[in-house]
Amino acid sequence: MKTQDMREQLAQMGNGAHALATQILGNSEEAADAVQEAIAKVLGRPGSYDPKKGSLAPWFMRLVRNHCIDLLRRRRAEPLEADALPATGPGPEASAEAAQRDEAIRSALAALSPDRREIIVLRDYMDLSYAEIASVLDLAPGTVMSRLHRARMDLKETLTRYE
Amino acid sequence: MATEHVGELLSGYLDGELTQQQRQRVTLHCSGCEQCRDDLAELRALRERISGAPLSELGEDQWRENMNDTTVQLSRGIGWLLFIAGLLVAGFYALYHLMIDSSMSFIEKFIIFGVYGGLAVLLFSVLRQRLIERKTDKYKDVEI
Ligand SMILES: [Zn+2]
Repeated sequence: MKTQDMREQLAQMGNGAHALATQILGNSEEAADAVQEAIAKVLGRPGSYDPKKGSLAPWFMRLVRNHCIDLLRRRRAEPLEADALPATGPGPEASAEAAQRDEAIRSALAALSPDRREIIVLRDYMDLSYAEIASVLDLAPGTVMSRLHRARMDLKETLTRYE
Repeated sequence: MATEHVGELLSGYLDGELTQQQRQRVTLHCSGCEQCRDDLAELRALRERISGAPLSELGEDQWRENMNDTTVQLSRGIGWLLFIAGLLVAGFYALYHLMIDSSMSFIEKFIIFGVYGGLAVLLFSVLRQRLIERKTDKYKDVEI
């Protein structure tokens, strides 16, 4: 893969990776650093990605996720729960009502367990396929649907508490 | 209802991850089960909300800019490497010529050696410092 193409794809994936890292680390700034570190590592060794083994997105998401988990382990702290996820401010054009709805979704997500947050972000925010999600999360492909469904039902239930 | 609720198949249905047979089962079941129909509609709405939610406030441009910074760092590293290699070759070449030169006295040779040797030592210490900084490089822990 040409480095230029890779850079462009990484830039497009940046936000998705940042959303995932935020869900794992519970902190938007740390998450941005983690993604930046992962990108720097990939650009430093672009040959480490083998296009024959699948598309870049799941490979990169897995790298980001593993790095985040490493950071957590080093911090020797639990991922921050519940209201610890920062409110990422809505754009100025967003109406107050839309902002409230976004806030509710974020709070509800933050109240889920980290593995449920992750799988929801990978599917609904990043649009990865079940097979790709399985490779990112190291799951048997057959278990993705049931886990995702449980996570979604949990989120649906939790969301009613925030609206 | 005669058949069981379709449960997780609703998610698979929504994501287009079912076999044709599973899809038919969902459609058939939902045509007669209000609860699953409602669940499906709610899950669909939820999915749309998440995909549109600002879960990351950073823009693509920010990642592009950061990448440019990284490229600058990388090319600077390569620049240093070439510079050192060239300097080493030139240094040994000059040293060799200084030694075989018979037109200079020992004192003259010593002075020239002192000036350039001193410069080399200074440069070496700067490089050593940079190398130590590199070892504490914050990117080195990212496992690929
Ligand atoms: Zn049903």
